[in-house]
Parts: sequence; C-alpha cells; structure tokens
Amino acid sequence: MNPEVLVGMLAEMERIRELTLDLVEQQTPRLAPAPPHEADGTERTMFDVLLGVRRAVLGNPAAARRVHDILVAEGRRYARTPRGARLRDGLVASEAVENLRRVWEMLSLNVLDGPAAPNTTPDAWADLLADAVIGRGLDDSILARLRPEDFA
Amino acid sequence: MTLTDPRNALADQSDFIGYLVGLAGLAQVISTLAGDGDGRGEDPRDPDDFVHVLLGLASIGATIEGFANSVMAQQNPTAKTPQTASATRWLR
Repeated sequence: MNPEVLVGMLAEMERIRELTLDLVEQQTPRLAPAPPHEADGTERTMFDVLLGVRRAVLGNPAAARRVHDILVAEGRRYARTPRGARLRDGLVASEAVENLRRVWEMLSLNVLDGPAAPNTTPDAWADLLADAVIGRGLDDSILARLRPEDFA
Repeated sequence: MTLTDPRNALADQSDFIGYLVGLAGLAQVISTLAGDGDGRGEDPRDPDDFVHVLLGLASIGATIEGFANSVMAQQNPTAKTPQTASATRWLR
C-alpha cells in the first residue's frame, strides 16, 4: 500500500465522518436547528457562527478534547504567575464570564467535560449522541416501558 | 496535489499571522471580561476548567503580544534591546 492510497483512505474516512455527522444532525434536529426566519444579517451570521462551533465540537470530539486539555493546562500554568492570578480572580468574579459560560455550555452541551481516555472521544460525547439518537421517538408508551430507568 | 507532487505555493496561502492576531484579539476580549467584576463580587465561584480555558487563551495571547512587542522594540533605534535574527523570525 503506497502513501497515496493511505492518504486517499484518510480522505475517504473524513468524507464518511462528515456524512455520518450530517445524518446524526438530520435525525436529531435539536443539535442543528434551522435558522430563525426573521434573523437579519448580523443575527444570522452569529447564529451560523454558534452552530459552526457546536458542529466543530460535536464533529471532532477527540481533537476538541485535546485542544481543551491543552488550554486548561496552559491556563493552570498561567494562573500560577502574578499576572495570570490577577486575571483569574477577575474572571471568576465576572458576570460576563458567567454569561459566556452559559453560551458555551449551550453550544458544547458539556461533551468535553468528564472522563476521557487519552486520544479518544470523551465519554460524555458518546452519552449525548446515544441519548439524542436512541432517545428520539421513544414517546411511544410501549417503547417507553423498555427504556431503562434513569436513561436520559 | 499528491505527496509525490506537492503544490509549491501552498505555504503562500497560509494566514499564520492572521491566526496569531486572532488569538491576541481573543486574549484582549478575555481581559475585558475579567474587568466586568461587579456582578459576582460577593460570590465568586472557584476557578474551574472553563475559567482555565479562558486563562490559557489569555496566556497564549499575551505570549503572542510579547513576540510582537519584542520585534517593535528591536525596530525602535532608541530601544536598549539588542537586535537578533531569531526574534524577527517570529513576526514579520
């Protein structure tokens, strides 16, 4: 197998990954809601940016988790410096940061938090997608009885 | 383009400096957010991963600004810092 074939395989797997993500989004419209009809240019642009961030995280969970871990490690290191400690104290006391946290949690659905084996997708990501895909359509009373208790 | 037939001009399409400027801009936004401390002054939460992510971005932004400032200091003839080729390599 020559390098060109290997690269072709990687490109094809990437294409399959994107198509799979499209399929997941089609089956779970809440993950990729339609844009509001009345949105003007700026609002529509912001909507697209926010949705793009969500797709980037949900579509690349292992890479997103690695970037997340790198930034957390760098943030902890920076917080041990005088300048970083001042910034940390300002951030934890900031109402604007609390608002930003709500935005981030709404976008990421907290899939980057919690346990994750090295270089793999976080457990929370798998849980979210399983709930989103499997949980869809379980309003049926018969099927609902088959749903394990405490299954979100 | 293939591995055995690379595209020579690919590096010319890079927007590496744009990435750095964007990160520095994000860091400035985070510093601005830290100044909005009126709302939770009585009840600040412990710094969690989210806060440390913001701190990490701020740290990277500060480092990038440090690169740019060192280059500007070298381009200033009154600056005391000696010129070196290695620093100008970072931000052109």
